[in-house]
Amino acid sequence: MSRIIRRALFASTVATAAALALAGCSLAGATASTGGSGSATSTVYFGVSAAQTGQYAQYGEQFKQAFDLAVEQVNANGGINGHPVALKYEDSQSDPKQSVTVAQKFVGDSDVILVFGDYSSAASIPASPIYTSGKLLQYGFNNSNPDFTDKGSQYQWSSSTTTSDSYEWTADYIKKQGIDSVGVTYLNTSDWGIPAYQAFTAEAEKVGLKITAAEAVDPTSDDYRPLLTKAVAAHPQAFVHIGYGPDAAKLVTQLRAIGYQGTFYGGQDEQSFDGTPDAAGSIIGAQFIETNPDKNVQAFVTAFKKKYPDDADVTSFEAGAYDALNIAVAAAKAGGTTRAGILKGFGEITHVPSVVYGTVTFDPATRRILHPQFTPTILKDGKWVAYNG
Amino acid sequence: MFDTLIAGLLRGNVYALGAVGVSLVFGVMNVVNFAQFSFFGLGAMLAWFFVVKLQLSFWVTLPLVLVICAALGLIINISVVRPLAKYLPLAAMLSTYAVSQILDNGSQLAFTAQFRVFPEVLPTSNLHIGNMRVGTSDIVMLAITAVVMVAMSVFLKYGRTGRAIRATAQDQEAALQMGIPVGAVQNLSFVIASALGGLAGIFFSLYIGVVNPTSGLNIGLTAFVAATLGGLGSLVGAVIGGFVLGILEAFGIYAFGDASRLIIVFVILILVLIVRPGGLLGRVPLISTEPLTGTFLGKGRPLRIPRWVWVAAFAVGGIVIPLVADNYILTTGTQVLIYAIIAAGFTVTAGQAGVLALGQAGPIAIGAYTSALLSVYAHIPFWAALPIAGLAAAIVASVLASPIWGVKGHYISIATLGLGIAIVAVIQLIVPNAVYDIPVPQIAGIPLNTPLAYYLIDFAVLMLTLLVMWRLRRSHLGRVISSVGSDETAALSVGVRVRDYKALAFAVSAFFAGIGGSLLAHQYTYIDTTIFTMLMSLLVVTIVILGGISLPYGAVIGSIILIGAMELLRFAPEWRIIVYGLVLILVVRFRPGGILVSNS
Repeated sequence: MSRIIRRALFASTVATAAALALAGCSLAGATASTGGSGSATSTVYFGVSAAQTGQYAQYGEQFKQAFDLAVEQVNANGGINGHPVALKYEDSQSDPKQSVTVAQKFVGDSDVILVFGDYSSAASIPASPIYTSGKLLQYGFNNSNPDFTDKGSQYQWSSSTTTSDSYEWTADYIKKQGIDSVGVTYLNTSDWGIPAYQAFTAEAEKVGLKITAAEAVDPTSDDYRPLLTKAVAAHPQAFVHIGYGPDAAKLVTQLRAIGYQGTFYGGQDEQSFDGTPDAAGSIIGAQFIETNPDKNVQAFVTAFKKKYPDDADVTSFEAGAYDALNIAVAAAKAGGTTRAGILKGFGEITHVPSVVYGTVTFDPATRRILHPQFTPTILKDGKWVAYNG
Repeated sequence: MFDTLIAGLLRGNVYALGAVGVSLVFGVMNVVNFAQFSFFGLGAMLAWFFVVKLQLSFWVTLPLVLVICAALGLIINISVVRPLAKYLPLAAMLSTYAVSQILDNGSQLAFTAQFRVFPEVLPTSNLHIGNMRVGTSDIVMLAITAVVMVAMSVFLKYGRTGRAIRATAQDQEAALQMGIPVGAVQNLSFVIASALGGLAGIFFSLYIGVVNPTSGLNIGLTAFVAATLGGLGSLVGAVIGGFVLGILEAFGIYAFGDASRLIIVFVILILVLIVRPGGLLGRVPLISTEPLTGTFLGKGRPLRIPRWVWVAAFAVGGIVIPLVADNYILTTGTQVLIYAIIAAGFTVTAGQAGVLALGQAGPIAIGAYTSALLSVYAHIPFWAALPIAGLAAAIVASVLASPIWGVKGHYISIATLGLGIAIVAVIQLIVPNAVYDIPVPQIAGIPLNTPLAYYLIDFAVLMLTLLVMWRLRRSHLGRVISSVGSDETAALSVGVRVRDYKALAFAVSAFFAGIGGSLLAHQYTYIDTTIFTMLMSLLVVTIVILGGISLPYGAVIGSIILIGAMELLRFAPEWRIIVYGLVLILVVRFRPGGILVSNS
């Protein structure tokens, strides 16, 4: 047996070396199928790489609802120049181990001309090189980490605002409200919370907003009381949380429970935060506001609630996904229903109607949208409304 | 100060309830029950469903949830845990992990993954203690816990059945000989533990306010640590462990911040275990073999594998797949190969030395970060960074693990679990930002960044790993390490320095974990700490158990099944994890010693 193994191993080393040598040139190159559609009415496919199970499944569910609604509407209106649109969903659990295989699967599927996702940076960025070498556009519509596009290639695009934009805005806005000192908590995650906090502190220093205490929090912790008592010990005038909805819901509840009464700048338009009693009065800079009287927004909200009557709120997660699909469709209309065509289309489209921003135009250099505007919004009776404070 | 104490008491309360359940099951069955974690999340979601959706009163909901959790616990014990626990606690542990996956995802299918706001069923902030507002809700929780604990201890001390439970915990066989229906006692303990888990889940949601089906994991883990801290099997210990941990954790967070929470929890645990290897009130395990693996090695024999299979397997893996497979299969293949490398290296620790370490994500992360930082900042080429990553992982992990080798039995599993989590938390403190643009491997300036290139590199490394493992097992050193795992007392009595060999085995495993981490980092070209989770550690352990715990080549099979299956099951996304769990249970049920090990 031993000789056999030794031979096998020897052979393996030789074979691997030989294969490496043989494949030498082709290894470096990329073998991409260009994708695209043959006949005039063939279906156009977009891929979706998101979590359908696991700890991020909540967001995958929201995206799917909005995508499905948008696809229905696009197809009812004649699709992309007559081509119906359809989605191929793959569950990545937002786990890089799976998002890379999902990416490879989409790259190998010549029907797919664009992929939405993934949700987290830790799943999206490891998949980026695969999309790039497959010349397949990776539309990280939800990736607020600026490095998704900064460190990415011409194939990574995003219509999300970046964390640096939104937290610089937050620091400026708080200062403008006449507030001079804040206590801060931020998520202790390297892909999102820490860079966002760094952007916030840099801007706060610039405008002269004093941070009395800053505490990193673990999003999966449940009880923040001990650190909150410390964070408000210096009596800051207001409190900022750099994080998501569920952790903000826990934080604001516990902040009130330890007797802190200052304004809470933080949270997210997300069901658990919106429904938390103590969250009322929280202020964030938003783009999508469910109560916005704009007729496009109201048409979307009405259609969404009609299709999903069980959902109490239409949040920015659904709105972002809904927009993303419409933007992709607009790009395919402009550039063509091939991988190369839709990529070209992203550089060309301007003023695409959007329920989040009003209209969307990309900056082809940064592959982010131009001049995102933030509207201060306040949570009242479980709904975010524009706030003129 | 006082506020922190109150906060600590409240969280300790939830930990204590969970810990009692863990300790109870462990005591009577000698099984580490991962399904206990799921009952927290399930209890919380059921309570939310009854109160919010069905508009039931809280006082109706409470018993209802307990009954449902208890019934589920009974079903799980009868169908999955007990048949395996009788002769293979290790297989039973693996299947409780599968059960917890099924429960979590079943709960997600039923209730969706959304975070839900838990209604305020009782006033939560109507009373003031210092600056702190507490509510009737908190008082009621503490009171219910107190009543449950007193009732439990009276029941265990004086009740006929309670005494049967204690007798079973002390000595199962003796209890059986005295006419105690051990099976029924075990069922009852499982039922009580599950109900307590559900109760803790409800309390947790009352206290925290927002829940989703996976929120039990974190609190479950801490409850688990609390049970270990108190001494597995000791119920009073579990209660003390819960409150001690809750209070120390609260003060620790106050002093060092929430970012250090997990570090604090596990440093407390490891310190206690060094001073008292059996936990605060637990007995130091008398049997010196690991209760999980020691019994395990005696069961079954590895299947004899004909020579042609080796040649064929090599030909398929090294030649046929690279030639015919598409990029999707090759990419899946790279993940399979990397986990096979990590798991094959892990067989030295888990199989030969008999230490079921649960924290391999720690050394994997050390390897990944070492290699990534060296190549990004010091411009060291991948080929040099790869072995350095392995060495760094081996050295750092060994130094950190050195105090715990005197700890025995399940305690060492929990201690290493903690070590893995703490290592990742420390890396997060040292390198707060993610690492980008990690260079891909190159030969003569040609970047090897295609799926085929990655596959071939990983394949070559796996072959080397298996070669080293095979040489090691046949060497004198390997036999000594095996003697430690087979019978520690015997090994000690013939002068083998047991602790040192365990540490050495761990270092060898950490080396390959570091290599695997380096390979992952250079293929993802991006790493952050969220990649190196406890689930990653559990995956490594599962792979090893599935393939046959002391068979390095079994790890390859385990890896193909566990990572490949997740891809094969893509046709049913929502049911993917549930089917995965069922497959795992069936495999363990019919091949409890591992796929490549015959049943004896």
